[in-house]
Formats: sequence, C-alpha cells, structure tokens
Amino acid sequence: MSGLPAGFAEWDVWLAECALPTAPQRNDLRASMPEDRRIAFHAAITPRLAEALALLDATPLAEHDAAQTNLMRLLLAYPHIAQAVEVHGPDEAKHARARPRVPFTRATADL
Amino acid sequence: MSGQADSFTPVAAKDVAFLGTRPIPAGPYYDAAWFEDEREAVFRASWQCIGHVCEVPDAGSFVRRELEVLSASLLIVRGRDGALRAFHNVCTHRGTQLVEEAAGKRSRFSCPYHMWTFGTDGALVSAPDFEQFSIAKEDCALKQVAVDVCAGLIFVHLGKSPPPLRDWIGEELAAAMETLPVARATTFSEYVYEIDANWKLTYDNFQENYHLRFIHPRSGGPAFADANPFGYPAEFAFHGPHRTQTIWTNPAPVPAPHQAAAFARLAPRAMAEGLLATPHARKYFALFPSFFMLGSPLQNFVHVVYPLSATKSRGVIRLYWVGDDANASERFAREAVMVTAHDVHCEDVNVIEAGQRGLSSGALSHIHMQTQEALCRHLFNTVEEMVEDYRAAEA
Repeated sequence: MSGLPAGFAEWDVWLAECALPTAPQRNDLRASMPEDRRIAFHAAITPRLAEALALLDATPLAEHDAAQTNLMRLLLAYPHIAQAVEVHGPDEAKHARARPRVPFTRATADL
Repeated sequence: MSGQADSFTPVAAKDVAFLGTRPIPAGPYYDAAWFEDEREAVFRASWQCIGHVCEVPDAGSFVRRELEVLSASLLIVRGRDGALRAFHNVCTHRGTQLVEEAAGKRSRFSCPYHMWTFGTDGALVSAPDFEQFSIAKEDCALKQVAVDVCAGLIFVHLGKSPPPLRDWIGEELAAAMETLPVARATTFSEYVYEIDANWKLTYDNFQENYHLRFIHPRSGGPAFADANPFGYPAEFAFHGPHRTQTIWTNPAPVPAPHQAAAFARLAPRAMAEGLLATPHARKYFALFPSFFMLGSPLQNFVHVVYPLSATKSRGVIRLYWVGDDANASERFAREAVMVTAHDVHCEDVNVIEAGQRGLSSGALSHIHMQTQEALCRHLFNTVEEMVEDYRAAEA
C-alpha cells in the first residue's frame, strides 16, 4: 500500500529517504545524498511537481492526512535537492563546505 | 512591475567623494584593543535590532537574547498591559540569570536560586522570607533596558540616555521601512552562523556587490545583466550613521526552474496585497552598526551581525513573511526561497574567513575600497569617528 496519495505511488521509493519533517534534516539530506541520487530524485519529482502541489492545495494544511503529509515532506525536500542539481551541478561538493556551519534554525514549514 | 529604472547608471565617484579615498587602516579589523573600545563607543551607544514583535505576540510572551558584545543577556517581554519591555536577564537578589529558555510564555519569572519572582512588568512580586531583607520590593524590580519598535523590528539600547529610536533611525528611513512587509510580518524563517571574522569585515561583505560575480556566479548569476555585470547599485544614500542603496538587477532574469516555480507561487498573494508596488521594494537599508535589510516585494530579508570578539561574529538571518503558510504551494515556495538565500550566504562564509586570516596576519597596514564599496567606507569612517571620540573622552 502506498504511503502517498492516490496516483503518486511511483514516489514511494523516495519516502524513507526524503520525506523528512524538518528543514535541518532536509539540508542534511542534500549533503549526504550522492550526486546520482540527487539527480534521480530531481528527475522523478520535476515533471509532476505542479500536479502534486495542486493536489495538496485542495486541502488545508492543517487537515492533511498521513499520505498528504508524506507528499508535502517530499516536495519540501525538492528545493534543497533542486538547488544542488539545477544551480550548482558538479560544483555542489565544493559549494557544500560551509553549509553545515549555517544551520536552519526556523522554517515556516516546520512550525 | 520590476520597480526599477529601465537603464542602469552606476554611482559616480563624485557622488561619494565626501567619504574620501584614503586607504583604510587594517588594524581595526582584527585588533583586540580597538574592538574593546568599539564595545563602548559603538555598541553601547547604538540601538541594536534583536528581534521582531511577532515573537512576542501575547501577554507573557518572551524571548531571551544574548548581546555578547556588551556581556548582556536580555529578556524581551510582552506585559499583561500589552507593553513591550526589555530587562536584563538577571535576578536583582544576587545576580542569577532568570531564564534559560530562548523563548516562551509565562505570567511570572522565578529565579531558580532563591525563588524571587517577578511579574511581566519586571516588578518583584514575591520573595521567600523577604522580611529578612532591609530593602523594599519596589527597589528590587528587574533592571530595565531601553526598547522600542520600528517596522515591527525590536531594538534595544544599553547606553545612558538613549535618543528616541525614531530619531536615531531618522524619519525618512523609519517611514520607508514601515511600508515594507516586515512591518506586518507574522512569522519568519531563520538561519544563523558563527564566523571567524571581525563584525565589520563580515558585514561589509553584504554592503558591496563587487564580489558577487566571482563568489556567486551560479547562485547569483540570474541577477547580473550585461548592462551591469558586477551587479552594482544604482543609488547610494547616507543618513547620518545609516545608509541605503538601491539595487539594479537583470530586468529579465532566468532563474533556475525550481526557483521560478517558487516565485510563481508567491506572486499571487504579493500582487493581491499590493506588495509589488511598494516604492521601497528594491531598497537595501543598513542601520548602524550592524543591521541590514533588503526590501523585497515578497518578503524582507534581515541580517544582523553580532560581534563576539575582535575576530569572531554571529550572523542571524531572517526572511520575514506576512501570514502563515496559506497552502502547500506557499509552504513549498517559502522553503525554496529560504534555501536559495541560504545558498548564497554559505558561499560567503569561507571567503570572509579567508579575508580575516589575511588581515590578522598583519601583512597589510591598509586595505583599499573603490567607489562601489562606498558603504563599507562609510561604516568604517563612522566607527572610526566614534572610537576616536570615545578615546578622547576617556583620556
């Protein structure tokens, strides 16, 4: 049984690794994920990003069920990974040096 | 809708000639004795931003803030009467720090040592065996610190006889800041850093765009345009110890796809609330000594550099938002904006520290600043004047 809303079962393979509840954890994910995994995650989410957000927008955030919460968390990981893939590409490792020293201490998604 | 002129004209040298062109002495960027004088001459004599009213919304809401440069631990409290007050986080019995939590909500503050208990107005409410003391309760209230608010931002002043905050900032700047989203913000995203660098060196990194092309070629790339390859500002203005600049960026930026997706999801609310038409939407506000804010139609980006020593600082960076995340799209977009801003800052940390190592080596007696680094020069001139005045008064 999928941990995601109907129609998004193809993303189940990313749930355990990427559906993380806090911004610091999503930032750590970016740092720990091998480049090929980052690229694969980005490639999986990108084509259906708008569709997934539209689905979630139909339900108030406070009323999200477990599957919708999982989907939201996957989508929140996406900008972290997309920044590495789309902006830094092969320079991501070089760029990552200082990132652990600049921790996220508050994100609106985590409140 | 971009809120900027169609063409770019850089600030001319004559526009900032009054600041001088001399080389800047390097010592004040690492010298411990100079820093000791800055504590009193600059930081005790200035209003400093330490938070936002959205952090203390209700009676009893409080935040604890450390101002290491003045060895101060402060409690900012919303009283039962609705008033905002700031106190030293110090029990008036024997000096024990009252509160360890960074933030919370209480109707009373009790010292863990001997249970002296204070109200949200700072008054001593009760103390066990108080009749054994030879003092009156009225003389035992928490020590208050000057506090005031501008554009929703909380400022404190730990000096004697502080000027009114609005006089310190100046009416023109204060009024402009109050038109921005930060004045109505109800929440924020935040990231922090500690850096092995002097507070001025750290802060200066965010006062000049000369480095953008070299340190942020990818993360900042979309902002550059052929007409303005260095991302230089279109205007500088100086307001006493404070300063502003107006950023001129690529009028047709091509952001990364995920960034475009985020901005598209933030724009509707911004348009509906008229934020895109805010006259100061692209302005950079630098309030002396170490606060700056970038106006933005979507949110305000506030960065304060807090000195820890001559060669160590802490930066607190916040993105202020109006309203909670309205839906999944807005939640996603705010996360994306936070990640984008964070990336740019992470690129700065190493190069600032490399600068500090070079300066601290003593290899240079002076450093050099060009026209487009005029805000850095203005900061140094202001600090130097205050320290020299302080030293003369002490002598």
